Amino acid sequence: MTPRKLDIESKRAEFEATAVPFLQPLYSAARRLADGPDDAADLVQETFLRAYRTFENFTPGTNCKAWLFTILYSVFINEYHRKERRGSTVSLDELERRFQRYLQAPDEAEPAGATESAGSVGPEVDAALRQLPADFRAPVLLVDVEGLSYDEAAAVLGCPIGTVRSRLFRARRILFAALQQYAVKSGFTRGKQ
Amino acid sequence: MTPPTRHYEQEIQDFLDGRLAEPERTRLAEHLAGCAQCRAELEALKWLKLEVLGQLPRDAVPPALTARVRAGLDAEAAGAGAQRDGLRRASFRPFRWAAAAVLAAAAFLVLLFVWRPASPDLPERVARDFAEFTAGRLPLRIEAREPRAIEEFFAQNGVPFATRVFDLAMMRYELLGGRVHRLGGHQSAFFVYRGADGRLLICQMYQGSLTELPPADEIREHNGITFQVHRRGGTTVVFWQEGDLVCVLVSDGPSESVIDLAFAKAVKV
Repeated sequence: MTPRKLDIESKRAEFEATAVPFLQPLYSAARRLADGPDDAADLVQETFLRAYRTFENFTPGTNCKAWLFTILYSVFINEYHRKERRGSTVSLDELERRFQRYLQAPDEAEPAGATESAGSVGPEVDAALRQLPADFRAPVLLVDVEGLSYDEAAAVLGCPIGTVRSRLFRARRILFAALQQYAVKSGFTRGKQ
Repeated sequence: MTPPTRHYEQEIQDFLDGRLAEPERTRLAEHLAGCAQCRAELEALKWLKLEVLGQLPRDAVPPALTARVRAGLDAEAAGAGAQRDGLRRASFRPFRWAAAAVLAAAAFLVLLFVWRPASPDLPERVARDFAEFTAGRLPLRIEAREPRAIEEFFAQNGVPFATRVFDLAMMRYELLGGRVHRLGGHQSAFFVYRGADGRLLICQMYQGSLTELPPADEIREHNGITFQVHRRGGTTVVFWQEGDLVCVLVSDGPSESVIDLAFAKAVKV
């Protein structure tokens, strides 16, 4: 597809109306991908500048948020992605095994402290997300948090749809296992859902 | 009841993600009725997707970031406008130049006061990058011993200026590789050496000015070039300017050695 031709004034106005409203989801995702608020802010700034420079390539009527995420993820992988730092000593394989054990005996899940009322998501969730390697964290953020389709997530991540599916499959199991105590604390019980 | 022959893990995922059509949906429902393990899986993943991840709060965007983004876009638009006006000399009208100048001045003022409300401590960031690399948390994107190979890597990976990767073999520093990096909002060419004593030396180059730096711990002059020496923790960070590029060397080796290396490789532009 050939790029659109936009004059400077209409390009700036159209970009403001179409792309800038996605600043918050992009910043939220950047906070959950990058190391700290400074990197997240730089990542978002760079994403918007690159998006603006190539705005002629964006097709009106398509998913602008997915297009912006494609740029954000590319900038993140190329310039901000550092080797994974996982504070927990629990391996991903062990978390998957823990999920299997839960499925086989869900009623024996470790009890936690007092049950909290549902309605707000605790900081444990962000901490568990951060423990996931970026390859697994990104599809969860795109599909489960931002509501992108598998096709859109695959385009953002530059991988086949099957890869998105398999990474989501593992990532969700690992996340649930990591959040098992939080699940009990926040009132999740079998058969209630 | 006969135990199920297999579990429906993939179908449960597709069901949760709205990707399971009939007749598989009915088949899954029938299976769930007789399989406690799959019911547990569906309940657990449904809770995770809908009640946890789907409800995650979004971070509030700092007002300074919103201002930075808009200022950056305005500066881009003003830059493109100035370019366009330059190309259309036939339609030159004095008020357009004046308008462009006012716009550019406004953008400059916005940039001055808003873009970087808190100017980053670049020496601190260079030292932090050194620590991150030393700890193995900042991977190289190219591993090569030849300066030319790394210069080509930078050119092919969007570094918008010509890089000059030093050959320090005479000083017994072996080139390890490089990466395209960020340094306080600047895109930087980042390359690494290991000395004969095993110590690491990192160089970064970016488009910028020494005026962005905080006051130096020491100023040195050599061959008509000014060097700013900053000390952060156990590292020595030496900056100098080459045209519109800033070069910086950092190492945790003896301070004078780092300064001497900078003296040896800096070029007056």
